[in-house]
Amino acid sequence: MLFNSIEFVFFFIIVTSLFFILPHKYRWFLLLVSSCYFYMAFVPIYILILGFTIVIDYFAGIYLEKTQGPNRKLLLIMSLIANIGVLAVFKYYNFFNDNLTSLLYGAGYKNPIPYLSILLPIGLSFHTFQAMSYTIEVYRNHQKAEKNFGIYSLYVMFYPQLVAGPIERPQNLLHQFYEKHEFDYTRITEGLKLMLWGFFKKLVIADRLAIYVNSAYNYPEQQTGLTLIMATIFFAIQIYCDFSGYSDIAIGTARVMGFKLMTNFNRPYFSRNISEFWKRWHISLSTWFKDYLYISLGGNKVSIPRWYFNLFFVFLVSGFWHGANWTFIIWGAINGFYLVFALLTDKLSTRIVDITGLDRHKKLLSFFNIIITFLLACFAWIFFRANSVKDAILIIKKMATFKGPLHYENPSMLIFSFFGISVLFFYELKHEYYRNSFSLMNNPNWLVRNMTYAVMIILILLIGVFDGGQFIYFQF
Amino acid sequence: MENKLIGKLKSNKYLYFFTKLFLLFLIIFVLDFSIGKTLRHFYFTQESGWQYRTTYAMENTVADMIVFGSSRANHHYHPEVFEKRLPFEYYNAGRDGSYNLYHFAVLKSILKRHKPKMVILEFGKEEFKKSQVGYDRLSALLPYYKTHPEIREILDHKSEAEPLKLAVSQIYPFNSSIFTIAIGNAAINKTRRGDIKGYVPLDKTWNEPMKTIQSVPAYDVDTVSVWAYESFLKECKLASVPVYVVTSPYFERSALMDTSMQLGKNIAGKYDVPFFDFSQDEKLISHPNFFADHLHLNDKGARIFSDFVIDRILVEKMDYVTQKK
Repeated sequence: MLFNSIEFVFFFIIVTSLFFILPHKYRWFLLLVSSCYFYMAFVPIYILILGFTIVIDYFAGIYLEKTQGPNRKLLLIMSLIANIGVLAVFKYYNFFNDNLTSLLYGAGYKNPIPYLSILLPIGLSFHTFQAMSYTIEVYRNHQKAEKNFGIYSLYVMFYPQLVAGPIERPQNLLHQFYEKHEFDYTRITEGLKLMLWGFFKKLVIADRLAIYVNSAYNYPEQQTGLTLIMATIFFAIQIYCDFSGYSDIAIGTARVMGFKLMTNFNRPYFSRNISEFWKRWHISLSTWFKDYLYISLGGNKVSIPRWYFNLFFVFLVSGFWHGANWTFIIWGAINGFYLVFALLTDKLSTRIVDITGLDRHKKLLSFFNIIITFLLACFAWIFFRANSVKDAILIIKKMATFKGPLHYENPSMLIFSFFGISVLFFYELKHEYYRNSFSLMNNPNWLVRNMTYAVMIILILLIGVFDGGQFIYFQF
Repeated sequence: MENKLIGKLKSNKYLYFFTKLFLLFLIIFVLDFSIGKTLRHFYFTQESGWQYRTTYAMENTVADMIVFGSSRANHHYHPEVFEKRLPFEYYNAGRDGSYNLYHFAVLKSILKRHKPKMVILEFGKEEFKKSQVGYDRLSALLPYYKTHPEIREILDHKSEAEPLKLAVSQIYPFNSSIFTIAIGNAAINKTRRGDIKGYVPLDKTWNEPMKTIQSVPAYDVDTVSVWAYESFLKECKLASVPVYVVTSPYFERSALMDTSMQLGKNIAGKYDVPFFDFSQDEKLISHPNFFADHLHLNDKGARIFSDFVIDRILVEKMDYVTQKK
């Protein structure tokens, strides 16, 4: 079920109402059943895959807690193999097979291994990673094994964050299913406000920009350099509004019922370097990789070359996590390269700042760094969005010419796009630098506050895109 | 007194929450109603633009011959050529980016109040390809949902929730249309993008080399789109309106016939409807200067192509008369 569908509106109202009507002891069951329904609204049969990982990790957790010695590690490895195995079959099998076919073809052979004709289960990477974080945490003795199978299932399946995160940790989420959540006016309105802002970002900004981006990126050979530059900047904003919009709706939905999910985005386009960008972008995934892969590889407590390798490798894997395509792997590699390059040139860049005297103009330096970081992120996004590596290279070549004219189907499309971007910019600017200044959504005046909500809903009806389809990150 | 009331409300958290929610919905309702009604008024007072042309086709045209289809219909059938050679008054109801369901809905609205003497339906490649776009594009007909009950059955294919959305919001049918409505009401649009009886000429000339199609792509056929096409032909037959299905040229060479074209031709045959395929007509496709892009003819190409279509129609009519004799 899509958040941006009329079905979800009814689903949310019914589930939330029942949640507060039912006695506390039955609420987890309601959430579990509704989460199953939510997931099965996509492709019902795929609930079996989810069930498979749930059963494996539930028992893995229990046995991990009971077992001591080397068998403990073996148990963890078996559980991880089962989880990664599911990912490997459903997400990466055809990718590897495709590459094998190309290799064998080059050598004059035919690939005898057949392709799998299967759809990728929605949000597979998200719930697999969430399930894996549970077994790892139990193994590390940071979390007790969950004995209640229903509660554990709910931890993996909790519908607000089931298909696109935030990827939760058991320490943050599991205990919340045992706590009683009262009907709290302030908390409920906070959640609803977050949901409204999420819908605004998705429907008014992301899906509007997607129209331009799709027409440019799906036919790059027909576009001018200027159009592709515009489409790339639009895509950077589109993917942010799409994914952070989803996260806001997810976090808001959970908040209404009293659950606190982790923050997933923290205004990443105000970052002053790529390292900061990754601390603000898709935080639940970045921290997952940091906690479970980067630190396991030794983090920065190793030799300098190994440290650089660790960083680069983690981003390469992160790229691959996003999709079974070379475009995602290159996107990850570019980000890894940015980070390693920044470390290598750290002293040099400090010196340049000193020589140019920019250190005396902190605001100017900050502004300059924000722009550079945004442009670097945009360059990497080309590979993320392009349909193939060949397309990405063509797009970069065309962009380098900077040739016009700028293509647009009709002026209202651009007007709506820039209107949405302006609202986003001022909202983010206010929250980044002027947090305590005048606020519309949290205004003490009831009428101002409610007029703001009403105007946002009217704007969604007036200029939101209702045929925009699903969220980009569902495919991962 | 007021403070007492708020205090009393606050003491019951549920009542407090739902009272505030109700007041918010009241504000939203008032805004939605007033803005929606204003948009509806100005939507139907437009004097130019594609929304105006749809309204004119559905509610006003009494033309003898009407052209239906997507952008290829809108830009390929020249009114001056048709009106010069045939004793018919012409109107072009083609609309950029529209699909079979749209054409069928517009036809139903027209037939409800007027019987044309001839109908041309432009039919393109991949016309029956399964895609969400055709359904999404039905949004263009949402402003007519309330006033044209004959198209509701077709519009409901957009989504099951459509009647509910339309009942709940007055703004929804005019989603994303605010600037188009404003421009349609301003005189500026008449000079900016003039149409001749619905036909919009393209002035560009295509400079790219011709594509050669080596293989026909396989795709899933959308049965609803097939139904709409078949219903279009059936509806014309029932109303005794002569209908011609025409495929205008593409600036590409292909020896293979697209799945939709084959299917479209078969269905037309089933209803005894002439199907003219100009997609590979050498007299047209060997002239790049007739094209605005690889899918569309420019104004010059449209004039020549229109002559070709009329020739075929006249031959067809002659054959018909001869056969009858």
